Amino acid sequence: MKRISIIEVKELTKVFDNNIRAVDGISFTVKKGEILGFLGPNGAGKTTTLNMLATLLRPTSGTASINGYDILKEPDGVRRSIGYVFQDPTLDLELTGRENLDFHGRIYGLERDVRQQRIREMLDTVNLADRADDFVNTYSGGMKRRLEIARGLLHYPKVLFLDEPTLGLDPQTRRAIWEQIQRLNQEESVTIILTTHYTEEADYLCDRIQIIDFGKIVALDTPNKLKARLEGDIVSLTFKTPQHARQIQQMLENKEWIRRIDKVANGNHYVSIHPNIQKIQRSRRDERADGMASNMSYVQASGAEKFSKDMLGADNKNVQHESKRLNLLVDNGGSRVPEIVKLIHGTEIILESVEIHKPTLDDVFLTVTGRNIRQEQGSFMDTVRRHRIIRHARGQRGKR
Amino acid sequence: MNMVQPLSRQAIYVVLLRELKRYWRARARIIGAVAQSFFFLTLFGLGFSGFIGGFGNVKYLSYLAPGVIGMGLLSGAMFSGVSVVFDRQFGFMKEMLIAPVSRTSVILGKILGGSITSSIPGIILMTIAGLMGAFKPTLILMIGALAAVGVMFLITAGFVGLGVAIGSVLNDFHAFQLLTTFVMWPLFMLSGAFFPIDVAPFPLQVASFCNPLFYGVELLRWCLLGTGTALLGSFGWLIALGALAAFTSLMIAIGSYLFSKAQI
Repeated sequence: MKRISIIEVKELTKVFDNNIRAVDGISFTVKKGEILGFLGPNGAGKTTTLNMLATLLRPTSGTASINGYDILKEPDGVRRSIGYVFQDPTLDLELTGRENLDFHGRIYGLERDVRQQRIREMLDTVNLADRADDFVNTYSGGMKRRLEIARGLLHYPKVLFLDEPTLGLDPQTRRAIWEQIQRLNQEESVTIILTTHYTEEADYLCDRIQIIDFGKIVALDTPNKLKARLEGDIVSLTFKTPQHARQIQQMLENKEWIRRIDKVANGNHYVSIHPNIQKIQRSRRDERADGMASNMSYVQASGAEKFSKDMLGADNKNVQHESKRLNLLVDNGGSRVPEIVKLIHGTEIILESVEIHKPTLDDVFLTVTGRNIRQEQGSFMDTVRRHRIIRHARGQRGKR
Repeated sequence: MNMVQPLSRQAIYVVLLRELKRYWRARARIIGAVAQSFFFLTLFGLGFSGFIGGFGNVKYLSYLAPGVIGMGLLSGAMFSGVSVVFDRQFGFMKEMLIAPVSRTSVILGKILGGSITSSIPGIILMTIAGLMGAFKPTLILMIGALAAVGVMFLITAGFVGLGVAIGSVLNDFHAFQLLTTFVMWPLFMLSGAFFPIDVAPFPLQVASFCNPLFYGVELLRWCLLGTGTALLGSFGWLIALGALAAFTSLMIAIGSYLFSKAQI
């Protein structure tokens, strides 16, 4: 196969002025024609990484090359080689779809004939030909996204960056965009890096997934291999109260047929882990310093688990946030349920529901980071704090 | 990443074209811009003219007209420049910044476009004032009016540049209110638009001499009325032209520099 690498990233690091290490020495390569996904929660460093690769942001240290051009020494070559679909829409709403593409083509120096032909081609590809001459402010969210993808590909880039391509879109539109991304990947033979915090999106689209958390790569593999790391079944037990969950957790801890125990969710609300990000960052870095390789392993996973428990302990006052659900990773999940029931029998513990499923990327994410990827939905203050940090970090951008 | 990049005529043209297209499509706002100045000119000008009469042999309406034109130019140009903040955060500009063209070309296109679009209300207002009899209808006035259009471009280019510079440094939309109060109003009040600074107290005169808009209004007055403040003498127009040209070049340079340094 013609799988030569088109992107090479070496020890890329970005430290913002407020000393937040948004990206912490990451290295990876992307092969030609590949779809690589950056999976991680908001603020993990995904967009910062993309912006450095796109020459919008100067790395604090480390470097990368795209299509043979160094991002520091040959930014123009890099810029010509990439298309970037930003997370926030960057279309000109007061212009028509065609005009948006036309301006883009002019800026990239496409000759008139080539430009007009290519615009027609891309409008057809993203099914916008019949709306091309309407103003963009009459477009739906999905249409705008498609137009942006068409624009990102207009100048025949070798690499396309998609920052949260389906953020805020409804499931149907999301599915349609996934299909278009896949088709374009093949038809245009363009290499794609996309960021997402939707595990199902990463699972569906990506050849390989890179899980990023606090600026570090915590796992990098194909979706199937990632999931295979959690062999077996996940048995989810929901108890009447968090105290019950804690009691049963103690009873289960020494059973050798259980590979992992995770305390996860509290109904629809996920566990609130102490939101002092910098503190977490520090403690996570310490953990890593304990000789943990950046490859995922169970050693690391249990480290993460320990971490998550520590943090839970720190947050014990917040009882209403404590989990009443346990996730067990076991072989033959179905056959273990009677055993669990037997354990509970005769105690005052009330088991409310049992659910068995094959591990998903959500479970993988939880395992490698010790947190649920959708944790932000959990506590409002958590979200606010995280966003404040992100915004602060963004405010520091572009000291270049 | 400040690699030396050549200016791209194509990029300048695209940004300019975009500004003009957008302006033309939102042309209803021209009415708003002209109307504000028009009210100043008629209500204020006609209202005060019975009371003041005029300065020297210039009647008050004639005196006021170049000043009110200058006010319109100032606010139009400043807001056009400051709009880079919106472009940068919500739109098109961000898209331009990852294109393989220099930021300087992008911003020159922006300044050029902003200068043209914010001069248009000024030209309309000059015509209205002319029809109201503010300027003596002579043959020289035709030439003077053409020169005034040139001066308008010079004034607006400078203030678009200043707007871009401010917009590149400021990220807070709420600060725009302050911009009107603390930048635009003082510039306007000290421009000699309402009253000749000849009779103003000395500190005010000094402040006016530091005010680029003062030279802009002065120059417009020379073009349209053939006279200016006695403080600068009979070659006042030359001093004003020099000062204004220096200001405009400086602002274009500073605006381009700060914009090329600005964060996304």
